[in-house]
Amino acid sequence: MLEQYLEANQSRVGPPHPYEQKLAGALTEIFASGTHELPAIITGLNNLGLNAPDGQPWDEARFRSEMRRLGE
Amino acid sequence: MTTETATAAAGSKAAGKGKRKYVVGTRRQLDAAELAATGLRDRWYPIYPSRFVGTGDMVKVKRLGVDWLLFRDATGQIRMLEDRCPHRSAPLSVGQHLGDRVACKYHGVQVDGQGTVVSVPGMPGCALEGRTVTASLAVAEGADTIFAFVPLTEDSEVTGFKLPDRLDNPEISWFSNYAEWISPWRYYMDNVLDPMHGAFLHRDSHSMFGGDTSARFRIRETDRGFFFEKTDQRGKNFDWVEFCRESMDYVDLEIPYAESAGPGGSFGIVGMSTPIDENTSAVFHWRTRTVSDWERDVWRFMYKATLEEKHWAVLEQDRELLEALAADADRGEHLYQHDLGVARIRRVHEADAQKQAAILLDGSA
Repeated sequence: MLEQYLEANQSRVGPPHPYEQKLAGALTEIFASGTHELPAIITGLNNLGLNAPDGQPWDEARFRSEMRRLGE
Repeated sequence: MTTETATAAAGSKAAGKGKRKYVVGTRRQLDAAELAATGLRDRWYPIYPSRFVGTGDMVKVKRLGVDWLLFRDATGQIRMLEDRCPHRSAPLSVGQHLGDRVACKYHGVQVDGQGTVVSVPGMPGCALEGRTVTASLAVAEGADTIFAFVPLTEDSEVTGFKLPDRLDNPEISWFSNYAEWISPWRYYMDNVLDPMHGAFLHRDSHSMFGGDTSARFRIRETDRGFFFEKTDQRGKNFDWVEFCRESMDYVDLEIPYAESAGPGGSFGIVGMSTPIDENTSAVFHWRTRTVSDWERDVWRFMYKATLEEKHWAVLEQDRELLEALAADADRGEHLYQHDLGVARIRRVHEADAQKQAAILLDGSA
């Protein structure tokens, strides 16, 4: 009998970091409201009380840089 | 993006001009029904994710009913041989990786990546040395996947390898996904040529909750295959699929994402199924999105963090349904207008199987 390969997560190694889950959850909420423009997304994150990794409010440079890192 | 090596497909020594033509890797003829069941030959297939075969690794895989050895040589080049020592037929996969070749565990016979016996340590100078008697396949790597041309006979001509357009476009970002289903490969093809199941089987999914549950379909010919599409709805559910016949057979389709999936609109899918044997399939999907700059990064982050699991849940709905189908589920059905795509793909594959069976018979005349 074939030992079936059935793996739900193939694009990352291990479970997501809680920080990543929280950020993805916040973005899901923002996108669900119909917001798809960069400035509005950044405002949305700040309004939800999430900070950038350095503890500062999100701005365009911080958001771009963090997405580049996480989306590699 | 891709690397390709063309190597001769060495078959059994019984094959040849005016002699019986055997299917590569089987040492016998197959009839049309067996070819249809275990997989049509003379085309490229995805074989295995590249990440599963590291440099120095030897991996046994069964594809199209034949046991194969995948090994990555010391230079990183992937090789694919029939998993069978030319001497006494022991599986090469239990032997040793020697950099540019493998050594059989049974008597130490060494076979290189082209299937040529390079050394018979027990009997130096033996006539077997220098002969290419192990079937080796032309392989290519791209889109995170190992592909191989699976020939019908040793006389088959290897066709050029080409990735589906959607996977060979710098403006499109993709993730690959691999799964093994205990279901015949033909059920996979029937399923993807049947978009209407999206509105029912996948109604409670993240992507196919919208749209009508009734539709009219049509077939539209393209220069590489055909579209099977709804005439009255697009962009709301699984509303169209294109069957593409290039160096590989694959399906290309798009399904809308909910707003919550972020910028970039619908996602695209490239899907292929490679028979493992007559009852099991290796299923390959690439989820794609046309996005650039920060939107590309956001999609990739969201895919890894949350979307991949949602896609997986949808794929599991398909797998569970197809694995539950009886072995003769495609006999005695009562098809209706929505099944024109299913009927068409079955005719295409049946014609291929008949044609390939005839080639084998001609060789034995």
